[in-house]
Parts: sequence; C-alpha cells; structure tokens
Amino acid sequence: MNNLAKFTIGIFLTLGIAWLAFVVGAREQYGDLVPSPQVLDEDGSIPADADLFPVDLTGMAKQGAEEYASLGCVTCHTQQVRRVETGFDVERGWGKRPSVPRDYVLQDHVLLGNSRIGPDLANLGLREYSDEWLHQHLFEPQSIIPSSLCPPSPYLYQEIDEPVPSDIEITGADGDDVRNVRPSIRANRLVSYLQSLKQDYELPEVAFVEQPADKEIATQEIKDTTAIVSSSVPDWLQQQMDAGKEVYMKAAAGGGMCFTCHQPNGEGMAGQFPPLAGSDWVLGDKERLIKISMYGLMGEIEVNGVKYNNVMAPPGIPPGSLTDDQIANVLTYIRNDWGNSASAVSAEEVAAVRASLEGRAPMQMFTAAELTPAE
Amino acid sequence: MTTDSPDKIIDRSAKLVFSFFLSSAGLWLLTAAFFAYLAAAKLTDPFFLSTCEFLTYGKIKVAQANAFVYGWGGNAIFAVSLWILARLSQAEVRGSFFLIVAGVIWNLAITFGLLGILDGHMSGHEMLEMPTEVWPAMLISYLIITFLALVIHRSRQIKETIAPQWFILAALLWFPALFLIAWHGLEINTARGTLQTVLSMWYGQSLIWLWLTPVALGAAYYLIPAVLGRTIDKYYLAIFGFWCIAALAPWSVVHHLEGGPVPMWIPAIGTVMSIAMVFPIAVASTNFHATAFLDIGKVWDSLPLRFVIFGTLSYTVSSYIGVVFSLPAVAKITQFTIINEFHFNQRVYGFFSMIIFGAVYFALPRITGREIPIGAKSFHFWTSTFGVLLLLLAYLIGGLTHGVLAGQPSLEWSSAVIGSIQPYFLITKIAFVILAFSQLVFVVNVWRVIFPNPLSLLATGNKEASV
Repeated sequence: MNNLAKFTIGIFLTLGIAWLAFVVGAREQYGDLVPSPQVLDEDGSIPADADLFPVDLTGMAKQGAEEYASLGCVTCHTQQVRRVETGFDVERGWGKRPSVPRDYVLQDHVLLGNSRIGPDLANLGLREYSDEWLHQHLFEPQSIIPSSLCPPSPYLYQEIDEPVPSDIEITGADGDDVRNVRPSIRANRLVSYLQSLKQDYELPEVAFVEQPADKEIATQEIKDTTAIVSSSVPDWLQQQMDAGKEVYMKAAAGGGMCFTCHQPNGEGMAGQFPPLAGSDWVLGDKERLIKISMYGLMGEIEVNGVKYNNVMAPPGIPPGSLTDDQIANVLTYIRNDWGNSASAVSAEEVAAVRASLEGRAPMQMFTAAELTPAE
Repeated sequence: MTTDSPDKIIDRSAKLVFSFFLSSAGLWLLTAAFFAYLAAAKLTDPFFLSTCEFLTYGKIKVAQANAFVYGWGGNAIFAVSLWILARLSQAEVRGSFFLIVAGVIWNLAITFGLLGILDGHMSGHEMLEMPTEVWPAMLISYLIITFLALVIHRSRQIKETIAPQWFILAALLWFPALFLIAWHGLEINTARGTLQTVLSMWYGQSLIWLWLTPVALGAAYYLIPAVLGRTIDKYYLAIFGFWCIAALAPWSVVHHLEGGPVPMWIPAIGTVMSIAMVFPIAVASTNFHATAFLDIGKVWDSLPLRFVIFGTLSYTVSSYIGVVFSLPAVAKITQFTIINEFHFNQRVYGFFSMIIFGAVYFALPRITGREIPIGAKSFHFWTSTFGVLLLLLAYLIGGLTHGVLAGQPSLEWSSAVIGSIQPYFLITKIAFVILAFSQLVFVVNVWRVIFPNPLSLLATGNKEASV
C-alpha cells in the first residue's frame, strides 16, 4: 500500500479483470453476431434464399433514430422486452417474445434505456397506430391520451390555417379547439423510426411466447384504443368516452375506481363481481344504471343469467361523490367500450334522476329488487 | 510567518486552488439544482416550457445528472482530495497555476458539453451524454490535476499510507481508466449492438462506485478521527474493505441489466457480486459508526461531522438496499422504475454530497481563517436533511408503487400506472425546491468566506497568485 506504483498496479488489476470480462469477454462471445434467418436448416446451416432478420432500417428511419436520441426520448422509454421470468413485458403486450442481442446488431445507437415513465417502445410498430395518430401524439400527447405525462413537441410542427390532406388535425383536450399542423421533416423521420420498431420475427435462439387466450388482454386493449381513436366514432362521443374512461380507471380522489372490481377489460371477476362487457344491466335501462352509480348496490343480482351476491359501495372517492358529468361520462364509456354499443348518457338525464331521488338518505344502497320493475 | 505551524503553511498553499474548485463546484451545484427543479416541474405539468426545444425533459434530466456528477462532483473531488492529500502528506500544494488552468478547461468542457446536450448533440451513452468533442479536454485537464495530486502524495513526509489516501488516490486514478475504457469501446473501436449498452451501463454505474464513492469514503476516514481526536475503531479492517470495493464493485454494477438482451451471465455475475458487497459495506460502516458512536455527543456538536455521519449512514442504508434490489425476484418489480432515481440521489446526494459538505465546513475555516456563521451552517444541514429524506422517500415509495402496478398487465399504462405515481412527482418537485434553497445557502456560505469583499475580488486574486 505504501508504494504508489504497486498500489496503482493493484487497483488497475482489479478494474482490468472486470474489463476483461464485460468488454473483451462479451465482445468475444457475441460481438460478431449477424442477421440470421428465422429458422436454420437441421444441420445448422443457413438455408439458401432465406430472409435475414433483423432487417436494416430505411434511411428515413435511421435519421429518425438520431432525432430520437437527440431529443432524449430514451430518458423515459426503454426498447427492450425482458425475458418472461424476469419481467411482465410480454404479458403486458409489449412484445411477442423477449428481445435478444441479435435484434440490435444493425443499430448505430442502441437505445435500450433503463427507465419506464413511458411504455416500452421495442415493438411500437406492431401496435398498429396510424402515422396520423403518432403525429398527434408527438405534437400533443394529451390531445389523445389525456393523462399522458409525455411532453408535447410543438417545435416539430408548423400550425397551418388552410390545411391540405397530409396535414394533421389536432383536437384539444376540451374538444372545441381544433388546429391543423404540418409535420416537419424531422417529425416525419421520427414517425418513420417509431413505425420501424418491431421485433416481429422469430430467430433460431428465440421463439414467440405462447400466450394463453386470457393473457392477450393488454394487446387487445391497445388495439381497442387504437381502433376507437382511428374509427368513425363522432368526436363528442369520443370525448365523453375518454373522460369516462378516466373516471373508470382513476383510483385517486375524484375518480370512480370502477376497474378494481369490474377490471379494466370490463369482464368483472367470476363469482364475485359481475361483468360490464355485454351485460344486460349495462346495455339496458339507463335510469337504474344512474341510480346504481349514485347510491351503489347490495344483495343478490342476476347478470346475464348468473347470480352474484356482493356489496357495491356508492362509487367514487369519497363514496357517492361522482358528479352528474362524471356519471354521464363513465356510463357512456361502459356502454360503448369492450364491444358494447348503446346510447350515450347525458348529464341532464343524470340530473333528472338525481332530482327524482331527492329525500333518499345518502349512501343508502339500492337492491336489485328495488330497481327491477314490478311485473 | 516562520512561526506558523506546518498545517497552516499547507493550508495557505492550498487556499487558492481549494477556493477556485470549491466556488466552481458551488456554481455547478446550483446549476444542477435548477435543472432538477425544471425536470421535476415538467413531470408534474407536461406543458411546462414545452415549446422550447432546448429544454425537453429528456435533455434536462441528462444535463442535471452531468452537471451534478462532473460539475459539482468533479470540482468538489478536486478541492477536497488535493487538500486532504496535502494535509496527510504534510506537503504543500504545488503547481497552483497549472491546477487552475486545468480546472478552467475542465469547467469549460463541461459547460460546452451541457450546451451540446441541450442543443441536441447527446451521445446516448449513460453518464457520457456530453458530445464527444469535449471528451479530450475533460481527460487532459483531469490528468493534469491528478498528476499534481500525485506529486503532492509523492513528496509526503511519512512513507506509511492510511485509509483516506488509498481511497482518494484510487478514485483519482480509476476515473481516467474508466473514461478511456468507455471512450475506446464506444467511439474508437465501437462495439456493436447491446455490447454498447453493457459498456455504457458499466461505465455509468462504476463512475459512482469507483469515483464519487471512494472520495467520500476517504474524506470520512479522514474527518471522523480528525474531529473526534481518536483513532478509527477496528482500523485493521479498512484495508480489507478497500480491496473488497476495488475487486467487487466493478463486477457488481452490471446487475441492472437483468432480463435484458444481453448474455445471461452478465447480470448473474452482477447479482452475485452485489451480494458479496455486503462485506465492504459492513467494514466501512463498522469503522465509521463504531468510532462515531463512542463519542456521539461530540459528533452532534460538530456540524461538519454531523454532515459526515449523515453521509456514512446514508451510504450504509443505500448500499444494503441496493443489495436487496439486485436480487432477481426484487429486480423484477423495481427494474426500470423511478427506484433508479432513488439510487442515484441517495448515492450522489444523501451520501457523497453530504460528506463533501462536511469536509468543506471542516476545511474552509482552516484554509481561509474565517468562520462560517453557525446558524447558516445549521440551516443548511436541516434543510438538506429534510429535503433529501423527503426526496428519497418519495422516490422509494413511488418507485415501489410504480413497479407493483406496472407488473399488473391489465392496468392501463398512462392513466392507471403512471397516474398513481404522479403525487410522488409532486413531492419530488417540492423536495427539489427545498434542496435548491438549501444549496443556495451552502453556496452563499462558501462564497462569503472565500470572497468576504466581492469588490476586491480581482485584487485578492492577483495577490494570491503571486504568493
């Protein structure tokens, strides 16, 4: 320890051994990986005329990767699907299989990332978002996902008064503020890069993870959201549903916390909580739905022929606190998501029901019998 | 003059250099605090400053980490290491002119580096995001400073070396080695695919374990006996602790790659070595705390030591938590969550910075001959303590929530998962405001002692230089 030269050699040796392993050793092990066909011949050789994966990005997408790196997107987004035993990524629908080193060999900048304030993007291109949707998201994420924390990037766009068809229409969160923006070349590069992010091929070392049917919820959910966004649902209905979904999914003061029992997919839980998707109660009479949303429900109830017996406290945090608007929105949402389709509920209708119940003690839950018209 | 004690002469020789590095460190600390606030504010309101391309969340977050580690950390390391080495070697600081020139280059390099990041020239490698153009300037200026630190050490009066010297010298020497390894693997002989990530992750984490950590440990090994006037309890363990860190830390850091697209042996080794790290952690904490708790009243009364012991406690706790979080079963939940922020802030703020604050409050009056008002120091201590604890709690609880909710695939991402941790972002924003305030007090404390009369700043500077 007293001889500086020996000390220096000592501390560099300890560092050097780790360097040998992680830098020299790892490079020796997989530094010469190249694209490969999805399956090899039985003798391990590459079949003739097989397509090789991963494929190289187009020039536009490569430039987009530079933009992605330069704007610091990697600070909040990872691009790696973890192995099934070490993470929930595949279950969440973020990929068909875990990512492997070979997926990245053609990238100049490997942007794996290590923080997920935003979702993983390794397979963004598989989620079937339209270019328009991605542009809207880049310009102002909150215009399509109201709760998003992703910062808007208005500097990649130019606001246009007289739009041409290739311009992007942005509807503000409040619904009345419609703007048209023209993507810059940088925005187009970014979108082209984002659309190119997909690990949709198998490799000799990794196969797609088999998903049981009920585990495909997340992927399904993402697809549903996309479908809603890009389908022909009128704007006003879309806004009411978005607002309703927020009430449905919010587990903090001012929210409805509905999803904790009825589940985000509206399927409920067998034997305990009835489903909302396809439910005769949800798609039926509005008035009793409104009543349940104000006062809750207890005792036996038959939904789609199945009996449930449980207690539903008056919805909302604190209980019974949902406003007329919130009830109208959340009911509209549950009547129109998960394959449901029924008329929307307006705040006026809710107010009318509320007026008719004047005098009923707060928190006094309804029973199914009370709500079923006497025959 | 001739009747001055040797310590006084050494302190005088270090005065200019110490003051220079410390005042630059203070400015970087405030810069980092400003960026930290901006980043936290952007997480609570995504529209905050969203029209300014130079200030995207991604860029600010990165700029903050770089300003903190290289700006504040680097300058503070230079100031404290030079002084402690000089004191322990009983040798004067020589080559002040070259030290200051190198320091100016270092600071300019970081300034341009941060501007480069904000202007969109981020390299994308962890803790090496500054554009490659400034890397040579950083390396050269660093080598000059390290060389002059070694000169001090070589001219020491006592041949026998002790723990603070090992830790500080090792840190000074490890940094350029790490930097060159990363430079070589990332830019010169560029690795392909995820090898890049393995290397940049290894560099980024090693920077904290092999650069910031040993300097802070060295300072603690120096300050605790110096203030208490007693030797380190079970000192014979220190050498074991040192070599454990040297041998294990560079292996343990890669456990962060768990489950990712890298060969499985890499995170597996990382986890095993992380668990082995309990030995050096236990050694350091036994050495520090067994000594300090023999005389806890004195620790409490001495403000510098209070900072140091807060730092060492924080080191112990954070390192053990780090071991737990490296276990694959736990990492499955905590990986990629804002627990990362907990680790980073616990290390660089709760541990490293707190010990540096203590060292500065101990050294500054001796070097300048002027006392810092006790009230101001005390205010700094309490606001820092409160701010750090608030910040760390928010990141820890928020991070666990983040991980647990993210693990339930049925929860929608932005509204249910991220929506539920949003309150914690608000708490971190408040904590960063408190910390910024606290750091401002620290910097004002330091600047008032270094430059008692700002108007005569130039004149003093010239006189000092000619001494």
